[in-house]
Amino acid sequence: MKNKLYFIVIMAVILSVLNSCKKDDPVIPNEEEVITTLIYTLIPSQGGTPKVLKFQDLDGDGGNAPVISTDTLDANTIYTGQLELLNEQETPADTTTNEIRDENQEHQFFFEASTNLTITVNYNDTDPDGNPVGIENILTTGEASSGTLTIILRHQPDKFATGVSQGDITNAGGETDIQVEFDVIIQ
Amino acid sequence: MQVVRRIFKLNLMLSFSKYGFVLASLLLPVLLSAQHCDLSIKGHISDRSTGIALSYSGVYNINTEDGVIADSLGNFLLENLCSGDHRLRITHIGCETREVKVSLQNDTTINIYLDHHAELLNEVVVHGKSENNTAQVSNTIKMDEIHLEGNKNLADIIEKIQGVSILKTGSGISKPVIHGMYGNRVTILNNGIAQSGQQWGNDHSPEIDPFVANHISVVKGASSLLYSSNSLGGVILVEPSPVPIDPVLSGFVNYIFQTNGRGQTLNASLARHGNWAAWRVMGTLKFSGDAKSPDYYLTNTGKQEANLAIQLEKELFKNCNSTLYYSMYNTNIGILRGSHIGNTSDLEEALSREEPFFTEDKFSFSIASPHQEVHHHLFKFESRYIFSENQSVTFKYGGQIDVRKEYDVRRGGRSDIPALSLWQNNQFIQTTYEYLFAHNFTLKTALQFDYTDNANDPETGILPLIPDYRSYTGSYLVILKKKLNKLLYEIGARYDLKKIHVWSITHELPRTIDIRDNLYHNYSLSTGAVYEFAELVKANLDLGYVLRSPEVNELYSFGLHQGVSGIEIGNPDLNPEKSLKLVLSADWNLGKSVFLQTLGYFQNIEDYIYLQPQSEFELTIRGAFPVFEYEQTNAQIIGSDLLCSFEPIQQMKIILKYSVLKGTNTKEDIPLVYMPPNNGSGTFTYNIKDQGKWRNNSVSVEGEYFAKQKNYLEGQDYLPPPDGYFLLNMRFFTSVLLKNKNTLKLSIEAENLLNKKYRNYMNRQRYFADDLGRNIMFKVSYIF
Repeated sequence: MKNKLYFIVIMAVILSVLNSCKKDDPVIPNEEEVITTLIYTLIPSQGGTPKVLKFQDLDGDGGNAPVISTDTLDANTIYTGQLELLNEQETPADTTTNEIRDENQEHQFFFEASTNLTITVNYNDTDPDGNPVGIENILTTGEASSGTLTIILRHQPDKFATGVSQGDITNAGGETDIQVEFDVIIQ
Repeated sequence: MQVVRRIFKLNLMLSFSKYGFVLASLLLPVLLSAQHCDLSIKGHISDRSTGIALSYSGVYNINTEDGVIADSLGNFLLENLCSGDHRLRITHIGCETREVKVSLQNDTTINIYLDHHAELLNEVVVHGKSENNTAQVSNTIKMDEIHLEGNKNLADIIEKIQGVSILKTGSGISKPVIHGMYGNRVTILNNGIAQSGQQWGNDHSPEIDPFVANHISVVKGASSLLYSSNSLGGVILVEPSPVPIDPVLSGFVNYIFQTNGRGQTLNASLARHGNWAAWRVMGTLKFSGDAKSPDYYLTNTGKQEANLAIQLEKELFKNCNSTLYYSMYNTNIGILRGSHIGNTSDLEEALSREEPFFTEDKFSFSIASPHQEVHHHLFKFESRYIFSENQSVTFKYGGQIDVRKEYDVRRGGRSDIPALSLWQNNQFIQTTYEYLFAHNFTLKTALQFDYTDNANDPETGILPLIPDYRSYTGSYLVILKKKLNKLLYEIGARYDLKKIHVWSITHELPRTIDIRDNLYHNYSLSTGAVYEFAELVKANLDLGYVLRSPEVNELYSFGLHQGVSGIEIGNPDLNPEKSLKLVLSADWNLGKSVFLQTLGYFQNIEDYIYLQPQSEFELTIRGAFPVFEYEQTNAQIIGSDLLCSFEPIQQMKIILKYSVLKGTNTKEDIPLVYMPPNNGSGTFTYNIKDQGKWRNNSVSVEGEYFAKQKNYLEGQDYLPPPDGYFLLNMRFFTSVLLKNKNTLKLSIEAENLLNKKYRNYMNRQRYFADDLGRNIMFKVSYIF
């Protein structure tokens, strides 16, 4: 009978341990690394109203589809461009661009216009190695046209690889943190 | 028949009175010494689980180098022995070979228990005549081989068994695949407890140190269904041995150096049958750096591992033996840097590259992100009480804690914060009752309760892919086993009631907690029969029907799965999978020198759960990602495993193996992806005669062939299956009998000797890099 008692005791201990821990609701993680919004502001060098290209996906991956808005650009115009990245899940919104500036040697933006779109983008900033980052840039439009402009942010690219500092992504490597496509019309 | 259960009391053995000993051979010891050389050892050999005497077992005295065969009642007598330590090797067909050390001072009587895996109908097959040079082929990997291969993962070791393959993520992570089934569909029993861990992740290696095992068995047939409700494909048993009945300290030390990755493995085990209890302590340390493919280093593929296992055995009171077991497994595994991608265009770029991004020219031991850190603890208590000659009760408790942290390359110094952080607690209780109706007719019935608590740590700052959950499973099973002359048959049934309670986080803003419940009733039925036609042929039929309820990942995954660069979406309405598996096998002993094992199987799975790529893409700030949803279809797997072992002359042995498999999605009549391609191997071993102290000398050459997976439709995967390939391996082995009668084993082994460049279909790293190049290993094993 001793053995029975001994089993019962063990069972009782295990069951009480199981019952004693009521599970709390999980803590919703604070997604501070998420980038919800990209705002590309273009200020015409001759003055005038700034143009804005904006990509916004407030709930992150999955869930609702992102909202994309694009202003029509003027033909044959030089714009001073600036990129701003936000995490709007935080209040007030977190400016992710600051993190990119702090780690500018590890980041680079790339701009790819579809062949029919008359746009060239040049870098207007450098990291301590003298390589471009792309937060500050100059966008030049040509004749009236339309097409897509893709903005890519790479994390840990090889900035010294051939062509990378000229804005050619081919040899860059690294991971894509951002890749957004805008349908742009130049008039 | 007397059921004896005093395993541990060497000096309190029952005395045998009237036994007629049938001594097949008995040679005089030839030791020159001034000791008393007129002592004897009397013994009785029986099955550990049933207590039934094992007739005609072989008893071999390693020290005196002679042996006897036990009589039909399992008794033996060794005479004219000198005082001192004697080591006996006990063998019996269908049992694990066991070594027992006896410190002989007076005439001694011992009881020896062997583990007879009779419950595994299609397990262990023995062929040949004597135990030393047998062409033993089985679905079991023995300790000697485990020690030789101990630098590898568990799955890599059992891959030697025909019909078993591995699903890998680089060289550090591997999961076993049995007849095309893996992950949730294969159960791994670590010391009798189902390994919990994160079974669903294809990049999650089982958290088990192979060194703890005395043997590892793979049960392919349907009789395995009764171990766990989930085992659609088969069951892997990792079994430590009981502590030897040995009042003297015994153990072993293993050391392995490998050139590829400059890896070192050190393992040591100590055991003693003390007065208070029998104990064993084992520890393993492993570390290696970047592995190398033939052309370049696989940067960031280092690995570190530290494991510990403690085993205690004691007779708590009369007829009640108990075992306490604790094991700890800790690892840090680097993942190829160039396989870390951000979106689909990164993936496309990586696929097109000859050499992966981030490949360094220099070797390094350092492990950076991405990497995985895993800690697993298992605590087990088992107690068996025999309350009458034919009845026993076994109580088993297993507790597991698994902590898994996976690190990615992240922005803003967050690479040190895990991207996945899971904590899982699993509790298991089982009570088994066994009743022996008559000789060779047993009933086994068990009640099981399993509880799992899975929690995500919010430290990640990332929405978890798998939600927090708790699951509760209650099971009841009955197995009847009877032996009638040459026929052994078994029938079994199992019922499971499973409840899953899930706390998932919504993907819509504001984030809230969504609580869901799923309830499943599952049942399984199995039957098996083994028939021995003659000494020549043994046939085995195995049939099983089993239901597997969907797991949490299949029900509730939601989010971006970085490793596969896709968005995975679970389906809470999935039904259980219904599997019918038939295995038919035959063992042919063709003369003394040829052994053939043929096995064919057919499996039909209704409502087979799989990830179906969806037609539309999901747009995110990192670009568009493909969407995969868990769906159900019907699947069919047909395959065959063949093995032939052949000894043309006494010193030579040739073993040929071949496995074929075809998986089909029968609803759409298309191939199933990620099914192992046909593969085979041939091993030629030449045993060189013992040269004085140098024993068991052998040279073996092995060729491995993996065919190209042709059962594939264009577009089913990111890349078409890689070409087939052939690898050449070699091994030199010798053992030295030292003066103190201890053994030192030495071997040199080369894998991929020709430094062949290849990619394996079942290795997910094949998208990014070549597989391992040449690897030369130096192995030393000391047994005392």
